[in-house]
Amino acid sequence: MPEETKHGANCTEFEALLTEAIEGRLTGAQKESFEAHRRTCGICGPLFAEVQAGREWLRSLEAVEPPTFLVHNILAATSGVVSTRVAAPGALGTTPRRERLREWWDSWFAPLNAFVRQPRFVMSFGMIFFSGSLALSAAGVKASDVAKVSLRPSSIRHAYTDAQIKVVKYYDNVRFVYEIESKVRELKRAATPAEPAPQEEKQNHKNDTSGQPQERQDRNYSREQGDTVLAGLNGSEVIPVRPVASDAGTADLRIQGCSQPAARGSRVVSNNRRFV
Amino acid sequence: MDEAQVIGLLVRRCVGGDAAAWEEIVQRFHRRIYNVCYRFAGDAENAQDLTQEVFIKMYRTLNTYDSGKGAFMTWVTTITRNLLVDHFRKTKSERLTDSLDGPASEHEDAQPLSDRIADQSRGPDEAAQSRETREMVHQALQKLSPELREAVILRDLQDMDYREIATALRVPEGTVKSRINRGRAELARLLQRTYRQVI
Ligand SMILES: [Zn+2]
Repeated sequence: MPEETKHGANCTEFEALLTEAIEGRLTGAQKESFEAHRRTCGICGPLFAEVQAGREWLRSLEAVEPPTFLVHNILAATSGVVSTRVAAPGALGTTPRRERLREWWDSWFAPLNAFVRQPRFVMSFGMIFFSGSLALSAAGVKASDVAKVSLRPSSIRHAYTDAQIKVVKYYDNVRFVYEIESKVRELKRAATPAEPAPQEEKQNHKNDTSGQPQERQDRNYSREQGDTVLAGLNGSEVIPVRPVASDAGTADLRIQGCSQPAARGSRVVSNNRRFV
Repeated sequence: MDEAQVIGLLVRRCVGGDAAAWEEIVQRFHRRIYNVCYRFAGDAENAQDLTQEVFIKMYRTLNTYDSGKGAFMTWVTTITRNLLVDHFRKTKSERLTDSLDGPASEHEDAQPLSDRIADQSRGPDEAAQSRETREMVHQALQKLSPELREAVILRDLQDMDYREIATALRVPEGTVKSRINRGRAELARLLQRTYRQVI
């Protein structure tokens, strides 16, 4: 209590009974003497009015609803076991602008995110990237050139057209070479029908382990040039992407491996619910 | 089984490593703790951080909770209060400069969304008035000293009894009552001054 109110035994008593009086818990003679002092004392009277008003102001403040993601965040930061019943629908919260924006963003991109995290998507993306990079290297685009690339739409269009022309030219050249080669071979066969395949040709292909006839190998080779995508796809090197993707899903949920209880329980978050 | 027994059981299960029991504790107490933090710290962002800190602290020290020594809510309030006091000390210098710069910001966050929706049905004038009033009370509360602020929050907003508050704040019951009355009176004076300025 402020010092200035302590100017008599009655005032000290008044102060002692103030909380009970404000909350309506005084009765009988106690209440009467309290009321009498309140009416007559120039300090205790106004004080009573202020305390009462302050209490009413405070009680006019209603409980605020915490943001819906709070429980989720708490669980993630403590047990790491993220709830199945967090964020009840319809729960309204005093969400700061930043979080509201994030929620809005998530509502649009969470399904996309879930899709992107699927191994199927990662595989497909890997394929596209792999074949894309092969196509670019076949077209003669080097990684060092990329830094110099201008990103204006017109220059992108030019670059695309140039690359397309290069690819077409390259393909045409390759086809032209093979056509000539096969013509030459035909002519040779026509000239020496009974002769077996020339000796030096066998020597050239002594590293050949496929056991295929020369002609088949050429055909395979030409297919590799023309359709590099298939050659890349069938390789097993793309498949390891799968475990990486599912690990990424669980990793960011095991936030802050918490103290003793987490070690005790050592549970792993079920990631499926959150993303799918 | 009464409330205290239910909580006691939940705590034991949680200490035994039961994640569902911990989630139940979080679900039961997060609103209350968030509200104490929000009214003490003044803004939603700090309230979220502080609430999370309270639960992290609780999670680490849950095995030290002794139901024989008092109600779980009192124990939780003690943890909350200690973190709030630490927070206040850390941000004290910022607060001093804040008060020189004028009224605190984040007005829109002081109003629960549910209220804004409810307000719309009450008519725009009345709704705006009650919203402004609550905002003023909330801002005035931030101007009280931390001792008075925590006392009135626990009594008038959280409805804790004097004995519980005394235990949580580690002061005698008489001191609690005195702080509550001083806090209420101080708030009324601040609001009367604000009203006079507005009118
Ligand atoms: Zn008096």
